[in-house]
This record gives sequence, structure tokens and C-alpha cells, in this order.
Amino acid sequence: MPRFRLSVRARQDAWGFAFALPAVILFGVFAVYPILRTFYLSVHRYSLVGTPEFVGLTNFRFILTDAGFAQTLRNTGFYALGTYGPVLVLALVMALALNTGVPFRNAFRVINFIPVVISWAIVAIVWKILFNHQGLINQFLGAFGIDRIPWLQSTTAAPWAVIIPSIWKELGFYTVIFLAGLQTIPRIFYEAARIDGAGRLQAFRFITLPLLRPILFFATIIAVIEGVKVFIPQFVMTGGGPSGATKVIAVSIYETAFAFGRMGRAAAMSVLLFAIVLVLTSMQNLVYGRDRS
Amino acid sequence: MMRPPQPGANPRPPSGFVKRLRRHPLLLFALVLQAALVLLPLVYMLSTSFKLPVEVFEVPMRWIPRELRIENYIEPLQQRPFVRWFVNSTIVAVSVTFLNLVTSVLAGYSFAKFTYPGRNILFGFILATFFIPLEAFIVPLFILVRDLGWLNTYAGLIIPAGGNAFAIFFMRQNLMTMPNDLIEAARIDGASEPRILLSVVLPLMRTAISSIAIFCFMWNWNSFLYPLLVATQDAYRTLPIGLASFESAYSTNYPQLMAVSFLAMLPVLIVFFILQRQFIEAIALQGVKG
Repeated sequence: MPRFRLSVRARQDAWGFAFALPAVILFGVFAVYPILRTFYLSVHRYSLVGTPEFVGLTNFRFILTDAGFAQTLRNTGFYALGTYGPVLVLALVMALALNTGVPFRNAFRVINFIPVVISWAIVAIVWKILFNHQGLINQFLGAFGIDRIPWLQSTTAAPWAVIIPSIWKELGFYTVIFLAGLQTIPRIFYEAARIDGAGRLQAFRFITLPLLRPILFFATIIAVIEGVKVFIPQFVMTGGGPSGATKVIAVSIYETAFAFGRMGRAAAMSVLLFAIVLVLTSMQNLVYGRDRS
Repeated sequence: MMRPPQPGANPRPPSGFVKRLRRHPLLLFALVLQAALVLLPLVYMLSTSFKLPVEVFEVPMRWIPRELRIENYIEPLQQRPFVRWFVNSTIVAVSVTFLNLVTSVLAGYSFAKFTYPGRNILFGFILATFFIPLEAFIVPLFILVRDLGWLNTYAGLIIPAGGNAFAIFFMRQNLMTMPNDLIEAARIDGASEPRILLSVVLPLMRTAISSIAIFCFMWNWNSFLYPLLVATQDAYRTLPIGLASFESAYSTNYPQLMAVSFLAMLPVLIVFFILQRQFIEAIALQGVKG
């Protein structure tokens, strides 16, 4: 009897493992292997032909002392903060606004979500025209007597010309996530707070924020990753220019690997990107505490 | 939502709707303004798409074009293989979504309901990749796909994207809340494991599957960096990549550029408007479950 049971159990286990197998193979081959391979390549010189040649930490030494790459890191930080700081705050405001009894709120929610479903490539192309020297945005500013801004040609304006469409595109996604979070908070909490004489701000501070914490945590992690890995808006709108003013890590990796053929150096940049994501997400773990799974 | 007042019914106080309208005038105004800002670039796109190139930067901007130049929508389709790119996008996004669903239902079920040794380690590895952006391992991934001879093939566009860490995580979470009794009962009845999955588990996962399907489809339809590298020939480009290449080559003909961009946007927008509830819920669930 016990032996029979064991074999049933073993058969179950085998089926369980078999069910996981397709995913495990795909992830092993197309994620885990290339991730490990990134570390390997980062200490080699390789140009897509021949065999990789071991060069120690040369690639890291190069990128960490290169002024251009330091600029790239600053640009990435600027983009991530400049885009996702406002996005998270505005999304919370939007979610709070849509969580009231305001009329047409479903229509607003749907409209606000439209940019999320549009390809980044299309968004970047449209905004590139809007930011044209003679484009609609400069026309609008002109109406207020502001001189035309060379949005895509100036090193000070170009980073903003990439950030603004990003806020436009990303807002709806985080609004929906926050709104879903707000809707899980039972109304009775607010009623109880009101009876106890708490004002709206107090209710927000002591009910909404703490209960929204897990979702804020999740959203911030996603936002940080999205921010530091950004590629399409810069690639399509500015190509990283003018003079590197909007070059971010992913654009730099792309360029180094596929325009200059320096796979090793691009892999070293990838390792750095990987490290940045790791540090930032674990920092968030500390900030928010690990109060959920 | 709002019921019209019944004729002959008691005279009612202002309906909830009107009351709500009165209670939030400023909020409503702000939301209308925000909605306008969201829609403006899209209206601009549509308006520009019917113009002559010289009319694009006219001051003041003419929102309704002098005449509707439908040619802007036709000429680019004759110059570049937009139809092919559209077909490619459809093939790739549908296949990847299908693969994502199959692998995530299987793996999610395996990780949630089986107790074989090592399952948590396997799940941990897969989940970890969710936090590692593709951009961080795109170079070796490209080399791998090249070495497999999959550059400019559908296999290269589809198979490496077949596993989706978020989908697996989502399916696992979803199944964890499902009671084991049903599965146990089916086992006692002598049903085989695949049969249990197909006839007991799968019917209960309908909502999760449709959420993940929408999510994966949207994600893959808009995917950019990976197809940019894997499909370098026109014949295998997807729509976003084709558009970007059209933009860099024909960037001066803004009306045509806007026309094809609008065309490329339309299918997803239509699907979105039909399934808007599911779309939004799919994203919302992501936050709540995560």
C-alpha cells in the first residue's frame, strides 16, 4: 500500500514537472542563458565574427571612465525621474479624481487609457512632428509671446521633448493601477473616519496611503524599470541626440553593439544596467518595507 | 446607468447624475481639460493626415483640412510593404500570445498545484527574469538567435518571446486561490493529469486567460527593440519597425507619415474600444495581484 501511494505521488510529480517544462526550457534558453552570457561577454572583446577574446575588466574600465557614458547615465536618471516622478504623482491624482462621483468618469478613464494601447513608435512619430520647430507646440507658445524653442535640436530642450510624450503615454497605465487599488479600500473606512471627525486630507494620509502601499510599491518598481530601460522615444525622436543629450543606456547599448560592433563593451553596459535595476528595486524594498509576500 | 424619468411617476428631485454634475464642477472641468490634452495629438494626427505637405505648419493651424487628400493613405501603401508589415505584426502577436497562454497556463498550474521538489527554484528563476529588462541581455540574445539561423524568420520573432514571466506569475497567483478539492476529486475518479487540466482547471481560468491574452497581445503588437534587431529585412518587419523605418526615410512627407501612423493605430484602437473593460481590468489586475 505505501509503495503504491508513493508511485502515484511520483507520477503526479512527474506530470507537474512536465507541465512546467515548456516554460522552463524557453526561459532557460532565451532568458537565463543570455543573461549569464551577458556577464561572460562583458569581459571579452567580440565583434560578431571570430571568437570572443578575454580582456578582463577593460570594457568596464572604458565605460566607467568615458565622459560620454557618464552623460548617458545622467540622461537616463534624468529621464526616469523626469518622466515617472510626475507620472506617479499625476496618476495618483487622476485615480483619486476618478474615484469620486464625478460624472462621465468611465469615459474619462477610457480616454485616459488610449495612449497606453498605442505603439510607442507611433507616439514618438506624432510628437516629433508636434515638437517640430514650426510645429503645433511652438505655435501654441507663440500665442503667449514665447519664442520658438528648437525642441529637438537644443541640448537643454531635447530631454524635455522626450519626457513630455512619455508622461502623456504612461499616465493612463498607472492611473488604472492606482484606481484599482483605491477601489479595494472599503468605503466604510472613510465613513468611520468622517464620524471620528477626520478631514479629507487626514483620511488620505491615514487610510488611503497606507492601504495603497503595496500598489504604490509595485507601481514604483515597474516605473523604475521602465524608466532606466527606456529605448523607443529616444531612438525614434532624437536618435540620442543632439550631441548625446538624450542618449540613454539602452540606446547606447544598441549603438555600441549594432552600429559599432563592440559586443563586449555593450555587454558591460548591459551588466551596469542590470546592476542599476537591481540596486534601485532593492532600495525600494527598503523604503517600502516588505509588508507583502 | 441613468434611468429616464418615467412619465406619470412622482416628480423626482434632481437625478443623481445632475447632483453629481453640480457637486464636482471644478473636477469635471479639470478632467475635460486632461481628456482634451490626451486626445489632441490624435486629432492632430488625423487632421494632418489629409493635408498637403505645405499645409502642415500653416499658422494658425487649420484643424479641418481644406480638402481631404485620401491619396495620403494610398500612396505610402504602394511605396512600402505596409500590408505585409501589418500581416507580420498580426501573425507574430497572435502566435506569441498563444504561446504565452499555453506556457503560462501549464507552468502556472504546475507551480501552484504540484509539490515536486525544485518547483519553487524554477519559479524563482522565471520570476527573477521579470525584473531584468530585455535591454540588459539583448546582445547575447541577438547572437543566440543569429546562431540559430533565426534572423529574419517568423521562428526568430515568435519562439524566443514564447515565455512570459508576468503571465506565469499571474496564472500561478490565480490558481493558488482555486480550491484543491476539485482536482483531488477528479484524481479519485481516475482522471489523468492532462484531462484534469483540460476539463477541470481550464474552464475555471477563463477570466485569467482573457486578461493575459489581451495583455500579451497589446505588449507584443507594440514590441519594438527585439523585432528591430531580428527582422532587418522588409519582408519580416513588424508594423512599428516598418513605421519607424518609413519615418526615417520619408520623414519630410508629414501628411503621409501621419496617415500610415493613423492606419497602424486603428486596429488596436478598435479592439480597445470593443474590449475596453477587459483591457482596463487586465491592467488593473496586474497591480492588485502584483
